[in-house]
Amino acid sequence: MTPRRPDTDTLVRERLRANANDVDALFVLAAIHANRGQLIEGVSVLDRVLRIDPAYPGGWIFKAKLHRMQGDDRAASRAERRASEESL
Amino acid sequence: MIPLDPAPADVVKLKVCMAGEAMVGKTSLIRRYVLDEYDDRYIATLGTKVSKMVLNVPDPTDARSVEVRMILWDVMGTRTLRDLLRDAYYHGAHAILGVADLTRGETLAELSGWFESIRAVAGPIPSYVVVNKADLESERAKTHESIDGHCGSRGWPWSYTSAKTGEGVEDAFRNLVSSVLRARMRPVT
Repeated sequence: MTPRRPDTDTLVRERLRANANDVDALFVLAAIHANRGQLIEGVSVLDRVLRIDPAYPGGWIFKAKLHRMQGDDRAASRAERRASEESL
Repeated sequence: MIPLDPAPADVVKLKVCMAGEAMVGKTSLIRRYVLDEYDDRYIATLGTKVSKMVLNVPDPTDARSVEVRMILWDVMGTRTLRDLLRDAYYHGAHAILGVADLTRGETLAELSGWFESIRAVAGPIPSYVVVNKADLESERAKTHESIDGHCGSRGWPWSYTSAKTGEGVEDAFRNLVSSVLRARMRPVT
């Protein structure tokens, strides 16, 4: 029988119940929101990730992407600059 | 493709991204390689995990040894979010380690989609494929010839690994690094 990975939404919920500041779970929650078209919620959760861990891997690039999806090119450029700084 | 950061002479920094379906053993391979540990329990990866490893390999251009500072990016195998997160994960990547599961044939077929997604962001970077869980030979889902044909027709160098026993793990990472160093000398197809 093919093994199954636990449902991502469920995993995220479980992890956040155990620790509301779990950055990995919050990062994925931001992606889940964005994937559903809930970009404002996605950016909001991602901002929380980046407040907790400003060097979260890929965090600023993802933020730039979400801002571009929102049509906010200035905010996207700011996030891209921050991504460059974090990678130095 | 992002140029390799030459840093000081004979030091190369590489960002290597893991790719492959959920539960193929991406995290276990990194854990085996970096910590020489294995845990039988499955813990699904959420978000991004970054590990670092330094190794010395011969430079294919001459007889010197090169110090490679490898940053290994372990990512979720959740395909529904893969394309949304690909910029975040794969921006600046220099190489891909694709992981398939010997006991689940479809995981090899799915690697094409992973590679395509990564190369859309990182360009034509080198890849290496490992068929993991080689310790589960009795549950093999594809013949050796079938795997070799699949990988060979796509130009993917490959080998078996077992994160559980450690078989082939270090060699796989070394082979990948050698591919990257060789690719510095010629365009990757």
